[in-house]
Amino acid sequence: MEAERKKKKRTSAKTLQTAREAGYFGKKMLQNALKAREEGRPTAWSMVTWWEGELIAKAMGVELVFPENWGAFCASVRAAEPHLDRSHGEGFPSTLCGYARNCLGYARNMADNNLEVPPDAPGGGLARPTFLLSSGAACDARYKWFQALGRYLEVPVWTLELPHTGVKEYFLPGNKEHNIRFIVSELKEYVAFLENLLGKKLDWDRLSEIVDQTFKTLRIAYEVDLLRKAVPSPMVAQDFWSIMIPHLYLPDDPEAYEFYKRVYDEVKYKVDNKIAAIPNEKYRMMFSELPPWHTLGFFDEIAERYGIALVIESWSYHAIPPIPEEELEGVTDPLELIARLTYRMWTGYNETALEYGVDPGFFMSAYLKWAKEYRADGLFCHPLMSCRPATYTLLHTGNVLMDKFKVPSVVIDGDIVDLRVFNEEEAFSKVEAFVETMDHYREVRKKEGLPW
Amino acid sequence: MTGEKKNKGLARAAEIYQSRDKRARELKADGKKVFGYFCCYPPVELMTALDILPFRIMGDMDEPITVADAYLPTIMCIFYRSCFDIAKKGRYDFFDGFIGAHACDGAERVSHIWRYYIKSPCSFFLDIPHTSHSAAIDFFKVQLNYFKETLEEFMGKKTSPERLKEAVSLHNRQRALVRDLYDLRKSDPPLITGSETLQVLISLMCVPVEEGNTILEEVIEEVKERKELPEKKACRLLIWGSLIDNTAFTDLIESSGLNVVIEDTAIGTRPFWHDVELTEDPMDGLALHYLKEFRCPRTFRETGPSYREDLESRFGYLKEFVKDWNVNGAYLNIIRNCDIHGYEVPAVRDYLEGLGLPVLVIEQDYSTAALEPLRTRFQAFAESIG
Ligand code: SF4
Ligand code: SF4
Repeated sequence: MEAERKKKKRTSAKTLQTAREAGYFGKKMLQNALKAREEGRPTAWSMVTWWEGELIAKAMGVELVFPENWGAFCASVRAAEPHLDRSHGEGFPSTLCGYARNCLGYARNMADNNLEVPPDAPGGGLARPTFLLSSGAACDARYKWFQALGRYLEVPVWTLELPHTGVKEYFLPGNKEHNIRFIVSELKEYVAFLENLLGKKLDWDRLSEIVDQTFKTLRIAYEVDLLRKAVPSPMVAQDFWSIMIPHLYLPDDPEAYEFYKRVYDEVKYKVDNKIAAIPNEKYRMMFSELPPWHTLGFFDEIAERYGIALVIESWSYHAIPPIPEEELEGVTDPLELIARLTYRMWTGYNETALEYGVDPGFFMSAYLKWAKEYRADGLFCHPLMSCRPATYTLLHTGNVLMDKFKVPSVVIDGDIVDLRVFNEEEAFSKVEAFVETMDHYREVRKKEGLPW
Repeated sequence: MTGEKKNKGLARAAEIYQSRDKRARELKADGKKVFGYFCCYPPVELMTALDILPFRIMGDMDEPITVADAYLPTIMCIFYRSCFDIAKKGRYDFFDGFIGAHACDGAERVSHIWRYYIKSPCSFFLDIPHTSHSAAIDFFKVQLNYFKETLEEFMGKKTSPERLKEAVSLHNRQRALVRDLYDLRKSDPPLITGSETLQVLISLMCVPVEEGNTILEEVIEEVKERKELPEKKACRLLIWGSLIDNTAFTDLIESSGLNVVIEDTAIGTRPFWHDVELTEDPMDGLALHYLKEFRCPRTFRETGPSYREDLESRFGYLKEFVKDWNVNGAYLNIIRNCDIHGYEVPAVRDYLEGLGLPVLVIEQDYSTAALEPLRTRFQAFAESIG
């Protein structure tokens, strides 16, 4: 019985039918890359670069796989452990990113297997790459990890730049356009690198098509976010963590777009008919930032026990608020469109940050906007042993939410791959106590005249 | 000038090292502006050119981290947690300005968080690209110009290319003197210990460049004439990795049978090893220097066609250190949660072992209270060499 309960709790019960179907996209990516490798077409391991590097690689006919996403997959099927041990044995500190260690251990296994996918690799494994696409955005792991893979793979690594200004600096006259121009020149260099490596020219029309499709997919994914402001919430984080895969990794894929149309329709139907994702929604919480993939069932339990709906979550995985029309007027160069898109991802909440006098604009400021718009009662902070950027600003976010809006936060330690860090019993008792805190602050907000 | 100097040379360096903010506070009382900055990336030359005292922000291994716990999670680089902790406790309340930097994750996020909780009349966050592609150098120059303009606005005056060149020359002079000082560690035993060197280097980061240069000149003269030399030991150690800013650590190493002869860290050779080129527009030389010449693994270097070649292009400079300083053992110092250095461990180890050196790797907690248990590891390492 107990074993069954545990088993059930590992994965979460998605509330949307479409969310249940989203796993298809993850499998599709892995299989496409394996097939490409078999057929001698180029493949790459890529960081999530928020579309900056992926779209161009795809236009060059490269099949991409994402070791971060694969790390989450390995963790969710509880297959990361042997890779972590392997990475440790190689001398990588065990404090490094869990996904990175999972991948480094796997690469070691590949190196031992003539650089081919080891037979027992989870999910069919990551196909041998032609090159590695790393990125300077978000965290040091995103380029140091791929650089470290050189020890096993001996393939070129391209590191993409993404400026990271402070909020005040973002608004310095001319700085934003300098930043965009820098990204564009870097993208030109990247195109040259790919053309040289793959021995063919970029098809610019194809790239424009891909960019166009991406903008469309991201737009509709963003519109789904807007629907989620409804009370009661039509979908929850347990759904989002599945449906984020297509827009984050495959926004250029017409199938992803069609998928989002269906997500939109399903969510819209629920909003129109006031169908709640969880039947007894009492508390609306935000979640930051990555969840414990191996124990997602926990969130169903807190929904059931306390009526907690995670109404919005994980800023870094969301589609961005669309770029203002006037900014795009006359812009036809696909590289510039990409530059503006990715830059928008990282600076889209700078106005909010400026309004509240906070830094940084990324990671934390979205939660300030969301708290109001999604009428949040609390923030669920999930500090991770091994994903630094998702964790660095958590306490700060919690402090600022309390300062500005009297929205409390609860901190529950966990990890994205390491099962041992998350203590479920302790987590339940913390949440139980937190429910009272949320009640209390509802009153405080009311007294202070805050609108929710 | 207040605070008349009593000591000279090593004694003066030790005095500044002990009370790092004393001289800065004195100067501030005399009307000088003092700016705290993170790591080695904000060009000190720009501050010097505008008569600002650049003051390197460090942590305190002696001080338990308490206050920072409410702001920064424990998985964050402990060094930067410590910097923030002591700042929040008022240790840096004399800053007129704060210069954050996108040096590494820890530096970047703490910079942002710092600005919210610890207010200074002026602040700037310096973005630093991750590569040294030519577009990145151009971009960095633009960022440096914003930095310069922010300082100029605050100081209510402009600097000129001539004044900037003078500042570059003064700092280059400092770099040359530091390299001269390092030369005094080539002999066996080295003429100056690792702890003494650390005191000197830290003192340079807390006083105006001219005063630092005087200290260096005095130290070099004093050390050259030394009668009592440091004890000769079997191991001549290279330290690579995260910075060390407390002599308790170097004392522990040196009392475990090892002579520290060179440190490839952010308070060791790195800030001093190359001069800034005096280009016609001095901003060009600065951008090039800080992004390309400065060797911290936070800047991505293009990978070579093979692992061996990659190692050679990234760590080839270590070979010179090993040869010229006659190194026979290496210690890779990793402050826990310093990813920049953490990811490099197997590669640097491969490279150094390839040069025939035994390598010791320790992840440490940036706390003097946690140092003693490391002694046996250093002793065992020393014994394995001796
Ligand atoms: S630390 Fe976090 S953001 Fe960085 S690579 Fe790892 S999982 Fe991704
Ligand atoms: S890792 Fe590099 S940039 Fe970061 S603190 Fe250390 S020396 Fe500075």
